[in-house]
Amino acid sequence: MSLWFLLSLAFVQHAYYAVTAVSLAAGAVGYFVVLRRQAFAAHAIGHVGFAGAAGAVLLGLSPVVGLLVFCLVAGVLIGLGGATLDDRDAVVGVTLTAALGLGVLFISLYSGYADATYSILFGQILGVTWADVALVALVSLLVLVVVSLIYRPLLFVSVDPSSAVARGLSERGLSLIFLSLLALTTVVAIQIVGVLLVFSLLVAPAAAAEQMTNRPLRAMALAMGIALVSSWLGLFLGVWLGGPVSFWITALAASTYLVARARVAWRERRPAMSVA
Amino acid sequence: MNALELHDASVTRGGKVIWRDANVNVAPGTVTAVLGPNGAGKSTLLLCALGLVSLSGGSIEVLGDSPRRGSSRVGYMPQSRRDAEQAISGRDYVALGYDGTHYGWRRGGARAKADAVQEALSLTGARAFADRPLRTLSGGQRQRVALAHATVFRPQLLLLDEPLAALDLAAQAEIVDLVNLIRDTTGAAVVVVAHDLNPLSSLVDQVLWIARRQVRSGTPDEVVNESVLSELYGHAVEIVVTPRGRRVIVGLEEEFAHPHPHPHVAGHAHAARDEEAHEHFAEIYGDDS
Repeated sequence: MSLWFLLSLAFVQHAYYAVTAVSLAAGAVGYFVVLRRQAFAAHAIGHVGFAGAAGAVLLGLSPVVGLLVFCLVAGVLIGLGGATLDDRDAVVGVTLTAALGLGVLFISLYSGYADATYSILFGQILGVTWADVALVALVSLLVLVVVSLIYRPLLFVSVDPSSAVARGLSERGLSLIFLSLLALTTVVAIQIVGVLLVFSLLVAPAAAAEQMTNRPLRAMALAMGIALVSSWLGLFLGVWLGGPVSFWITALAASTYLVARARVAWRERRPAMSVA
Repeated sequence: MNALELHDASVTRGGKVIWRDANVNVAPGTVTAVLGPNGAGKSTLLLCALGLVSLSGGSIEVLGDSPRRGSSRVGYMPQSRRDAEQAISGRDYVALGYDGTHYGWRRGGARAKADAVQEALSLTGARAFADRPLRTLSGGQRQRVALAHATVFRPQLLLLDEPLAALDLAAQAEIVDLVNLIRDTTGAAVVVVAHDLNPLSSLVDQVLWIARRQVRSGTPDEVVNESVLSELYGHAVEIVVTPRGRRVIVGLEEEFAHPHPHPHVAGHAHAARDEEAHEHFAEIYGDDS
């Protein structure tokens, strides 16, 4: 089978559409995850989603339904409980462990669960259907539109909450909107790379972008670009060389971050001496 | 019309009276220093002016109106900020002061925004490092950027919470000069919360001293004298003027726990060196943070 034949297969094409949509949303939301130091919340929401998916399967529903409900509820809980950026780690931790406990319960109640569990945990990118693509594209578009509408207030409240509140913004309101966006993005990203590797699209590209520029818009565009290239290339390598697509995507995203860090370290070597 | 007016104003938070019966007038173009021990309610006064805390009694007017949260006529520089950890550039941070509260897609005006940001950065002398990430700036540089952020929309009342905290003496003097320049250039009234009047003394038209739930206001000489402060604190307070004209207040420290690890002796004999002396004065001046 030639590479071109593989790439022309319907399920591979679905995968390309899906990763394109998810990468753009994850890059944009990921920029704020990194800026707001909310990687832990992103991590927790993904794992909470796992419990939701397990519960949905137990009830005979599509895992996506469970993912959506649980991720959104977790986002809202974290947003309400940890209103300020300072007291939220405990809230996130409690939400996370409570949901993981539920997940364990659901799995134990449902015996034939191994396959579904595996695909939620590690992604099922080569199994997405047209319906999945449509859902992922719609949700990603919604996320991108909302991010573009709240971009400046969200940036303001993330960078300098005290001033932003004094100037009339609602820290809690923006935090809730943002965590809902994060939850939606997590749900669609889980379709691609799975719960355990959601970070590769949400955090790694944005973290790399933050190393490359100090202009917010540019960093956000870069994060989207890095996520897109990582997932396109990862998908290509998975189809071409074999191996799990999730592995390739995470490897590429993480490498980009390493390269960005190394570049900064190398550049700051000499100026650091001349300043002193 | 005064920039800030309080009539018999009282604030209660969590069932506890913070201060009461405050009568204050801040005229346009003047600088008012707010002094007093930790927890006396100095920052609360700023929050009242911002419309974030409401009075439990009396009245407050900001620029002729009741305080309104989010007013674009009031600039505010909070003490606790997160700029020391930010990767974004100073220029982008100042731009947030200009239109950071606007939702939706930009409707033109990019040019006017860039000009306003550049002008604010020039005024505060922050242009040279405006494109560096905030987290790489020194404390004094960060204060300059933060002042540009708080003034980019040309407020008529500027509220600064401890702008000199954690700065070395040289940087303190620079920021004091800068506040003076901002006042002269924009005509804004400035209210500065501080724990030491000395570095501000060249700048200040009026002093507000808050202690034991009372507020006294007046010129520095009217407030910072032994009889007023003794009455305010409820025990004898002594003021010593150093040869360089600094006022050292002796007798405040007994009332409040001291956060500093080293023992503190009033009337320290070795405080000859300027810096040492200053540190010492700052300490006893107002039980600083």
